[in-house]
Amino acid sequence: MNRRVLGAGLAVSLPLIVILFANLGRDPHSVESPLIGRPAPPFSLEPVDPGPAVSLESLKGRPVVLNFWATWCIPCVEEHEALASAARRLGDGARFYGIVYEDEAAPVRRFLEERGQAYPSLLDADGKAAIAYGVYGVPETYFIDAQGTIVAKFVGPLDPPTLDAYLALARGEKR
Amino acid sequence: MTPLLGRSLILLALLSATTGALVGFATGARPTVLSSTWTRRLAFAFAGFMTAANVLMLEALLSHDFSVSYVAQVGSRAVPTWVSFVSLWSSLEGSILFWGLVLSVYIAAAAWFNRDSHPEYMPYATAVWLACGAFFSFLLAGPAQPFQTMSPVPSDGPGPNPLLQNHVLMAIHPPFLYSGYVGMTIPFGLACAALLTGHLGHGFIRPLRTWLMVPWIFLTCAIVLGGWWAYEVLGWGGYWAWDPVENASLLPWLTATAAVHSALLMERKGILKGWTVTLVVASFLLTILGTFMTRSGVFNSVHSFTQSPIGPTILGFLTAALLFSVALLSLRVDTLTSEGRLEGVPSRDGLFLVNNLLFVLLTFTVLVGTCFPLVVEALRGVRMSVGRPYFDAMAVPIGAALLFLMGVGPALPWGRATPEQTRRALVPPLAGAAVVAAIGFAAGARNPWTLVTLAFGGYTAWVTLAEVWLPLRQRMRSHGEGPLQALAESSLGRGRRRFGAYVVHAGATVVIVAIAVSSTMGTSKEMKLRTGESAAIRGYTLTFLRTEQRDEPHRQSMVALVSVTRDGKDIGTMAPRMNQYDRQREPVGTPDVKTFLFEDLYLSILNLDADGGTLSLHALVNPMVAWIWAATALMALGGIVAVVPRRERGVAPARAAAPAAGLGAAVGRQ
Repeated sequence: MNRRVLGAGLAVSLPLIVILFANLGRDPHSVESPLIGRPAPPFSLEPVDPGPAVSLESLKGRPVVLNFWATWCIPCVEEHEALASAARRLGDGARFYGIVYEDEAAPVRRFLEERGQAYPSLLDADGKAAIAYGVYGVPETYFIDAQGTIVAKFVGPLDPPTLDAYLALARGEKR
Repeated sequence: MTPLLGRSLILLALLSATTGALVGFATGARPTVLSSTWTRRLAFAFAGFMTAANVLMLEALLSHDFSVSYVAQVGSRAVPTWVSFVSLWSSLEGSILFWGLVLSVYIAAAAWFNRDSHPEYMPYATAVWLACGAFFSFLLAGPAQPFQTMSPVPSDGPGPNPLLQNHVLMAIHPPFLYSGYVGMTIPFGLACAALLTGHLGHGFIRPLRTWLMVPWIFLTCAIVLGGWWAYEVLGWGGYWAWDPVENASLLPWLTATAAVHSALLMERKGILKGWTVTLVVASFLLTILGTFMTRSGVFNSVHSFTQSPIGPTILGFLTAALLFSVALLSLRVDTLTSEGRLEGVPSRDGLFLVNNLLFVLLTFTVLVGTCFPLVVEALRGVRMSVGRPYFDAMAVPIGAALLFLMGVGPALPWGRATPEQTRRALVPPLAGAAVVAAIGFAAGARNPWTLVTLAFGGYTAWVTLAEVWLPLRQRMRSHGEGPLQALAESSLGRGRRRFGAYVVHAGATVVIVAIAVSSTMGTSKEMKLRTGESAAIRGYTLTFLRTEQRDEPHRQSMVALVSVTRDGKDIGTMAPRMNQYDRQREPVGTPDVKTFLFEDLYLSILNLDADGGTLSLHALVNPMVAWIWAATALMALGGIVAVVPRRERGVAPARAAAPAAGLGAAVGRQ
């Protein structure tokens, strides 16, 4: 047993392992959104199905969930069911809106016909809403409380427990 | 059907690798001919199953079989066939599958070439290789499955990441990188075998060195190809940014280069055995660290794969490999006894040691710089990055010192040198240093480090050329050969290893000088041009002619046509472009590069307004960049010359061939 080799080897290896484990699971691409705690940027967007434009102004008084998505995005397809069932369950307890990101009305309509539509999706043809919210990629979901303040942002596909936790936050409930 | 078959092949590969590793370790401890044979057979079986799985995936990609999850994830009917082909390694699961292929080919080759030699080491070595093979098969069977069944089967897929479709170098760079990275497993296995058996005989140094050189050659090419790709694709005008993933490929290269040198000393003098083995082990561990860096999502880099679930698994493997290596080294390194002793510094031997220490110092420097942001974030929750200034401040002096050593070392004789010998060896090359530094100064070099590098480069070039020339001259005199024949004889005959090494040194000298020149002596200018307007940069006049739109199935491009004249002479039209890929919001720019003998003209679009009438252009004149690419090819060539085995003397065919060759030469002279 060569103690010097052992000592030197451990002195290099152990800190490295500890640092790498400590950083596991962090996402270097996730930049903390500067919007959290601020009023949600206003928008007025046409829905995919014929109807009047929806503005953020008109939604005040209830928590709002804004889900940026696209039909070509596989994680969006994965989380669709979780969002739809939460929207159905909560009914008037929260308003859900999909905002279509870099996609066309026709494939979106086809997708919603196939997969079921629990809440309206809005078209963001020139990407202004996505830019205002600082969307980096899809899916990204913003949780806005009844006063119109963004309380949280989630990047990636939502599963039901995560979604419930964020909804509770948006509705001002204790977790 | 295909997904099921693929999963079965992966499981069979996992089974044969696991069994082979167990049998191998048992055989190493208690060798029998039968179990050695079975260890080798299981290695071949692993290689067969892994190769079959890759062929199956390639077939699925080329035939657009979207029932396979990986094909559904990266495939697309719209992309050209070569893109479908390279999709094999363009995304996480496929890249691990491809890793398995490269590993299995290496294992099969190493097992085959050593089937009749080194029976005391081979079972342990094969066991270590197969243990690594088992880990990667496990990744493919569990956390990173490429062969999941898609239901319902999609009709089309999104295609691979646009940046990867943007340049054909992306088809070449990853296979080289993988051949470099994965290949380090082979010398690692051999080093472990030496430690496990407790001796490292003279005969075993050769396979160790050969199997270290093969991945070294690939890794050398891969690092530079990566830089070339960044240069040709990313559009910021440089080729190296000290990005974590770039560093990840550099780290094992540094330790492997050190190991190649210390192996030479070990071979000649029987010393530094434990040290060489440690460097070889470290090179392997650094490749696994690099794999973790690119695939865990922990490091922020343009090259990294996105968030992936295999980070923790790779980190587990890295931890196990680190602890295994540290334990093995500390328990067994004392069994590898030295047979000689080291001479002091004013000798070639002593400088080998200095070379090794510098390489290790540089490795630590880069490793610390790469990991430091993680430490800061873990401790203080602040995100930061370690940038160029730190790396340059450390790497430039160390690089210059290594360049100088590359001259001084080979100039000095082996063993103890008298002051007179030292003076005679070290003074004449100063002429080379003076000439090259003077040329650089005349060409406008004023940066002190650049001048130092040029002087060291001139010194080393002098020594290197002299070391190549002197044996040639001797041959020409004693054998009456012409210069070309003497060159062929020394590159293929007895002195080939030495000759190859000096070719590598010549290439490395040019690379280091070209890096120094290109990074300090370039010109860069941003310009805004309306159609028809011109601007000048260092003797070139650029005129924005017009914008063209080009449509391809998978992308649309806006091409800015810029005519270039130098000293009033037309030298053609350049076409930097912005590519808009389907399903990607931000356009991806592709610069255009025109290469002349001493410099590149590099044009990259910063912005092109919607009607194509106004162009913001980043123009650079980069001196000597193309020399880096060419000199790297020289390094690789030298490496190949050094590593390809010479025909053994005393073997019947060689003896039979010798008189015939002599006769041929005699006839040729008449």
